[in-house]
Amino acid sequence: MTGFILSKLFRAFITLLLTVSLVFIFIRFSGDPAAAMAPPDAPQEVIDQYAEKLGLDKPLWVQYTNYLGQIFRGDFGYSVDSGRSSVSLFLDRLPATLYLGGLSLLIALTVGITLGTVAALNRGNVLDRSVMAFSVFAFAMPNFLFGLAVILIGALGFQTYLGGQGATLSWIGVLPPALTLGLASTGSYARFSRSSLLETINKPFVLAAEARGISRTRRLVFHAMPNAAIPLVTLIGLSLGGLIAGSVVTEQVFAWPGVGQLLVRSVATRDIATVQFIVLAIAATMVFANLLVDFLYLIIDPRIRAQ
Amino acid sequence: MKLKVRILLTTVLAFGAMFMSPVYLSAKERPDLVIAVDNLWETMDPVIGISTTGARVHSNVFDTLIRRNRWEDPDGNKLVPWLATSWERTTPTIWTFHLREGVKFHDGHIMDAEDVAFSISEERLWAKKPLAPRGKRYAAGIVRSEATGPLTVEIETATPDPSFAYRLVTPLGFVLPKHYYNEVGTNAFGQKPIGTGPYKIVSFDPSAELVATAFDDYWNGPAPAASLTYRIVPEFSTRYAGLAAGEFDVIVSIPADQVKSVRGTAGIKVMEKSIENYPMFAFNTLDTEETPNNPLKDVNLRKAMVTAIDRDGIAKALWGDATFVPAPFNFPEYGDYYDPDRKAVYTYDPKRSAEFLSKTNYNGEELIWHITRGFYPNYEVAAEFMVEQWREVGINVRMKIVDNFSLAYKRPFHMLNMSMSSEFSGDPYRPLWLDWGPFSSRTNAKHKTWVPSDKFLELGNKFAGAQDFSSRKSAYLGLVAEWEDITPGMYLWRNVVSYGVRDDFNWDPGNSAVTIFDSMYIK
Repeated sequence: MTGFILSKLFRAFITLLLTVSLVFIFIRFSGDPAAAMAPPDAPQEVIDQYAEKLGLDKPLWVQYTNYLGQIFRGDFGYSVDSGRSSVSLFLDRLPATLYLGGLSLLIALTVGITLGTVAALNRGNVLDRSVMAFSVFAFAMPNFLFGLAVILIGALGFQTYLGGQGATLSWIGVLPPALTLGLASTGSYARFSRSSLLETINKPFVLAAEARGISRTRRLVFHAMPNAAIPLVTLIGLSLGGLIAGSVVTEQVFAWPGVGQLLVRSVATRDIATVQFIVLAIAATMVFANLLVDFLYLIIDPRIRAQ
Repeated sequence: MKLKVRILLTTVLAFGAMFMSPVYLSAKERPDLVIAVDNLWETMDPVIGISTTGARVHSNVFDTLIRRNRWEDPDGNKLVPWLATSWERTTPTIWTFHLREGVKFHDGHIMDAEDVAFSISEERLWAKKPLAPRGKRYAAGIVRSEATGPLTVEIETATPDPSFAYRLVTPLGFVLPKHYYNEVGTNAFGQKPIGTGPYKIVSFDPSAELVATAFDDYWNGPAPAASLTYRIVPEFSTRYAGLAAGEFDVIVSIPADQVKSVRGTAGIKVMEKSIENYPMFAFNTLDTEETPNNPLKDVNLRKAMVTAIDRDGIAKALWGDATFVPAPFNFPEYGDYYDPDRKAVYTYDPKRSAEFLSKTNYNGEELIWHITRGFYPNYEVAAEFMVEQWREVGINVRMKIVDNFSLAYKRPFHMLNMSMSSEFSGDPYRPLWLDWGPFSSRTNAKHKTWVPSDKFLELGNKFAGAQDFSSRKSAYLGLVAEWEDITPGMYLWRNVVSYGVRDDFNWDPGNSAVTIFDSMYIK
């Protein structure tokens, strides 16, 4: 058990170290960040000043070791032009992303699992086929396209603006992007829960429960569904991991002031510290979610504990 | 009874006067404007934040010493006293500015000469490590900025500069509160700045929006809007939807291919403004380690390339009547220096192009053209036309589109995209001499593209030293002739910015990317 936990933690650490290193390398190999930050016709002197300010005038390996040292000390760097720490910029935008991501996940889970269950219980009939057709549509529809369609139909058809309201996070404002973002996941959850439930309700222990005279509802809720939930935990883990990264496109389309917008802007302005921190945070979320799923398996699946 | 009637009348009149007073009227009638922008710069320090996104905000929060009136003259050729009520050239290198009395910053502090001297000071702009490094370019040549009286400032330049006053309409001329800047520091100032402008910032979130409300003590009377909200809406379609739905009053940056459809939307007007910026490309005229035996060292090949391109046709096809192709350095914003009849020496002429080409040893070597993706509207489309036109005369150019300027600067390249702004100096000094002369990035930076000829330097020094208009103009024309003879680059067109505006909103920014929502620009 301890070995299992330690190996998972070690793997998480290596993943994060690799992420940090790759981001560091890619940012520097996609052009000189100092030149990219300065105005297009800035004199070399100004470019050099930016380089010095960012520590880019030092050899690459010195930059790398300094960077790792800073991370271990909890210093994730500052945005050059504003002087604000990348962590505070990120934290400012995190509530908007969590609000959007959390609501979209909630929509996806409730609608998706409900639809999947309905489809499984009506296997082969019109309802089942309709739900599956919807789930394919939902999964296949790109976020940006659906989002744009929602916004343009709202504006041109109903004189209603469905985009973000600046820094204000209203529940009415979050609904259109949350529905857009939740659409694809809804399709996935519907398909996964349907197939998982179908597999489970045909298992011997469910048949045995039926033989014992347990009601259909009770069999479904207390016997089939908990067992069908195991594969869904993996999917929920992935969704949790993608909570920050998953909404980049939707945030852009709906002008939702979250981490995704901050990331795109930071890449465009070559705000190295902020880009590095956001990518690290995204990776850390994914790693943490995976760890959580691994540990959840320990709790909900006795076979893994036995191994 | 009479007393009661008088009291009643007085009360009615008092209420009437209150409701009719400008303050009440303005509070009742002034709109809350929402401007949807593609981005906001992360600091509102008007020099550190020099950028198109910053320029949309700065002049609403800060005032410059001198301004242009683009409502009356879209190119703003006439200088308008603003925070400086008058100025004179005391000696060939010293300028004295007399400041407006009683101007308040947003915190109630009265502006004085110390604030102006600080705003243009060495520590802020041109020291070895200045507080605002981007200002260095604008402050080039200034050696002293000093308060010589409560409302008098002297600025000294290293060499005589007859057009110096024009520089103070640029971000160099913004007046910042010395006391507040020193108290909070550069970074905090950029996040919560105060100025003397018609609107004061009440909240600024660089990732979401900036909100500014009318500054009631503004020296030039009440601002025409109760508040300005600059909201970041990165996606054009979303900006358009917001404008169509009535959520926004102004949107920026309409893609050139979308102008027609936006224009066709009820309740929306589109403004296309040609501004003081000229997209172009520079020929790499140098042999470098990465481009040995560079064919573009030969001026005949460069001239062959320039005469092979139908710039007027391309500009017309892409922009319609929104812009034009200028003769080199002959721009309308130069006032008396501008000559509408002067034409470029090398214009579209395929026959002449073939003649130039025949004088070269060019054998179809591939010429690499570095272009920064999406930076200049329509640039890539125009480049595709141009590559084809060069192919027709036997010149092999390959576009290499990269994501940012630092990649564009990476050699090897034979041609490099860039643009040139001209609003700096009011005459051709900046674009012709500062941008191509011995101190320019084109001559000095790691990505330099040419070495000015001795004749160019000689003529340039003559131009820079000329003090009266006629000798300066004659030197300017000589320098332009030498530039054309060398042909180190080619200008495409006058850049265009576009705005979508609510139909009933009477606002016009003039030919500028700077947006100002004060009583000069809203009627």
